[in-house]
Amino acid sequence: MDLPKRKTDIGPPNYRDFLPPVISKNYGDWKYHEVLSPGVMVHHAGSGEKIWTVRVASPRLLSTDTVRELADIADKYCGGYLRFTTRNNVEFLVSDEAMLCPLQLELNDKKYMIGGIGPRISNIVHTQGWVHCHSAATDASGLVKALMDEFADYFTTKELPNKVRLAVACCTNMCGAVHCSDIALVAIHRKAPKVNHDSVKNTCELPSTIAACPTGAISPDSSKKSVKINDDKCMYCGNCFTVCSCLEINNPDFDGVAIVAGGKVGSLRSDPKFSRLVVPFIKNNPPRWPEVVEAVSNILDAYAAGAKKHERVGEWIERIGWEKFFRITGLKFTYQHIDDFTIARETFRTSAAFKW
Amino acid sequence: MSTESDTPLLDELEKGPFPSFVSEIKKAAAKNKMALDELKQLEKSYRDKRGYWKHGGIVGIRGYGSGIIGRHSSLPQEFPGVADFHTVRVNSVSGFFYTSDSLRQICDIWDRHGSGLLNMHGSTGDIILLGTSTEKLEPVFAEFSSRGWDLGGSGSSLRTPSCCIGPARCEWANIDTLDIIYNLTQEFQDEMHRPAFPYKFKIKAAGCAVDCIGAIARADCSIIGTWRGHIVVDQSAVAEYAKQGMDIQAEIVNLCPTGCMVYDGRELYINDEDCSRCMHCISRMTKALRPAGEKGATILIGSKAPFVIGATLSWVLVPFMKLEPPYDEFKALLKKIWEYWDEHGKNRERLGELVIRRGMREFLEFVGVKPSPQQVKEPRRDPFFYWKDEDFRRQ
Amino acid sequence: MDKEELKKRIFELVEKSVGKKKLKSSDIQKIISADTGVARDYVKSALRNLVDDGTLIYTYFGGSFVEIPSKE
Repeated sequence: MDLPKRKTDIGPPNYRDFLPPVISKNYGDWKYHEVLSPGVMVHHAGSGEKIWTVRVASPRLLSTDTVRELADIADKYCGGYLRFTTRNNVEFLVSDEAMLCPLQLELNDKKYMIGGIGPRISNIVHTQGWVHCHSAATDASGLVKALMDEFADYFTTKELPNKVRLAVACCTNMCGAVHCSDIALVAIHRKAPKVNHDSVKNTCELPSTIAACPTGAISPDSSKKSVKINDDKCMYCGNCFTVCSCLEINNPDFDGVAIVAGGKVGSLRSDPKFSRLVVPFIKNNPPRWPEVVEAVSNILDAYAAGAKKHERVGEWIERIGWEKFFRITGLKFTYQHIDDFTIARETFRTSAAFKW
Repeated sequence: MSTESDTPLLDELEKGPFPSFVSEIKKAAAKNKMALDELKQLEKSYRDKRGYWKHGGIVGIRGYGSGIIGRHSSLPQEFPGVADFHTVRVNSVSGFFYTSDSLRQICDIWDRHGSGLLNMHGSTGDIILLGTSTEKLEPVFAEFSSRGWDLGGSGSSLRTPSCCIGPARCEWANIDTLDIIYNLTQEFQDEMHRPAFPYKFKIKAAGCAVDCIGAIARADCSIIGTWRGHIVVDQSAVAEYAKQGMDIQAEIVNLCPTGCMVYDGRELYINDEDCSRCMHCISRMTKALRPAGEKGATILIGSKAPFVIGATLSWVLVPFMKLEPPYDEFKALLKKIWEYWDEHGKNRERLGELVIRRGMREFLEFVGVKPSPQQVKEPRRDPFFYWKDEDFRRQ
Repeated sequence: MDKEELKKRIFELVEKSVGKKKLKSSDIQKIISADTGVARDYVKSALRNLVDDGTLIYTYFGGSFVEIPSKE
């Protein structure tokens, strides 16, 4: 088959060609919006015109069959217009109010989960995991599926004090940037990489491999024209593996998942926050990681019970104090929780006023 | 006849209410050998609790150094369908808007030349086409580029810029995030496709401080819309919220971080001078409160995930900049930032790490931004600091 | 400097570095520009020609580099 002629540096298509007419007409003139139900909202323009949005969950990893189905649904009810959210939800953009009901009926019929708007759990941002990544220490999609099955009600109906943003990163490279999420999972290693000296010699640049280590654990091994690793200094971050793949860091017997909590990106009420370590390790237990799901449920339940309206997880924890957080969740506090990396001294308690 | 499944572990993940990625892989596998071996290899990963992928590092399309990420199975004999299973990053549309026809076009090309599996979207915001062979890369690119699509960034390049939904469907947008991102993406095609930076560089634009795109946490340059002026209060709408049961004192006034609001049971007063524009009150009372005055953006730099020195959030570089087409002032600043990074950055050193390593002063002087209290949470604590001769002359 | 001559200089630099240090596009631009006195943009455009015709390729393992394609 003849191929069409390639073009370079044309950039993406212009978004203006992809906007529903009611959006083009009222671009920049939206006045307010109302959340009509957990998965439906309406935006009102200065002109008096409206656009309705129906949000459904997606697993992020899609087959072309499913994308075509989404396109067909959009044709039927939305004049062919739809979009995706930052968190991989699908949003059907409805210009004709009469289409709202039949659209939702068809979505329900086809088993789509409608929801995710307002003080709820929206889709989980995540990475490729074992599906497609060379450095994954867990499978992101599987963890997400297990968690979202458990929390489905918080997507479709039930409310929380505020929105709860979950994320999963399948290694500490954190393509999913989970470091500012309400509750996030990050897969970690716990053993220093094994050095395959023969391949290091042939494939890796020693200076950049040595420079990749944040703790100075890697040094030259001149006799072998390779590198050696000081196991005591290694924090198992895996950055060296990204530069030199002959430093095998995957170790199924020791790899697993850490849980971090209390982060957010918005500036509402309080500054954006990093997520902090709450559970240092849970072993990989596919296909459904029940121990991870239970631990996240525990944190979520404590938040739902204790937080005031509008408080995000991090705001709630800061109000009650981390010491109380560990008490009421029953999570074990360990050596691993105390920072001994670049910002350690900022994290020590410099006051005698605290709770028991 | 055996009814036993080849994928008993993954089958477990087809149960439950949330849409199943396993069902998606199976749908693709029903008509595509690559997807079938993806499924089988994944089952093995679930059994052995480890991944079986190797990073490529070489394959790409002619002339570009980004947009393709080479990926190979480490078990090619066992899973020949994914011996080569490269990622193609296609630059998404600003605001992630699509038409049904454009999605079908993507599917048609990907069914012809790839696994039939894709992400809408990856973390950076590209359309991620998941898995094809080396010889299919040029055909995939020809098919896409001839129809108006281009590849996104990867490697040490400008990564695909992305934005929140902005003025397309949000009343809080202070800047035209979609246009800014489209304009920047078009302007800096060379920086995206021919990696010449020390490391990756991400740009994200959010219309306000709610930051639905997470710009402050995951962009080397974060553009966050804001305004200089005041908040217009519609007192009748305030009364309406109260009537509907909102406890304005508890939910709005008491949660204001600056204490700049008073509610007397009938009307809401805001001392605009003390407002930090955090967006809490506006987001909860969107019918009653609106930003007014000069619209623009705060430009921040430096956020990234933990490698190497620990995660960072972006910090303020320019407290306020007007952002209107053709965005010349911002582009000039960006070019100065890149020039500084080019001069001093080491391989794989992100901009934020570099500025932390060498100090803000040198950076500010280089890019031509004056020091201001808006750039810091607090001034330094220690009494030792650098002086330059020019500081003495200035006094 | 004649562009063909410049391209030759770039290729030789990359060739000389094989097995010693992988060069980034910016390394090449800086080195050649300093050695020849030619403006960086001109070096960049010569480098682009070399990549466009496949004489050199971009690689990306632990950073993006410019290398000579392997013969396989």
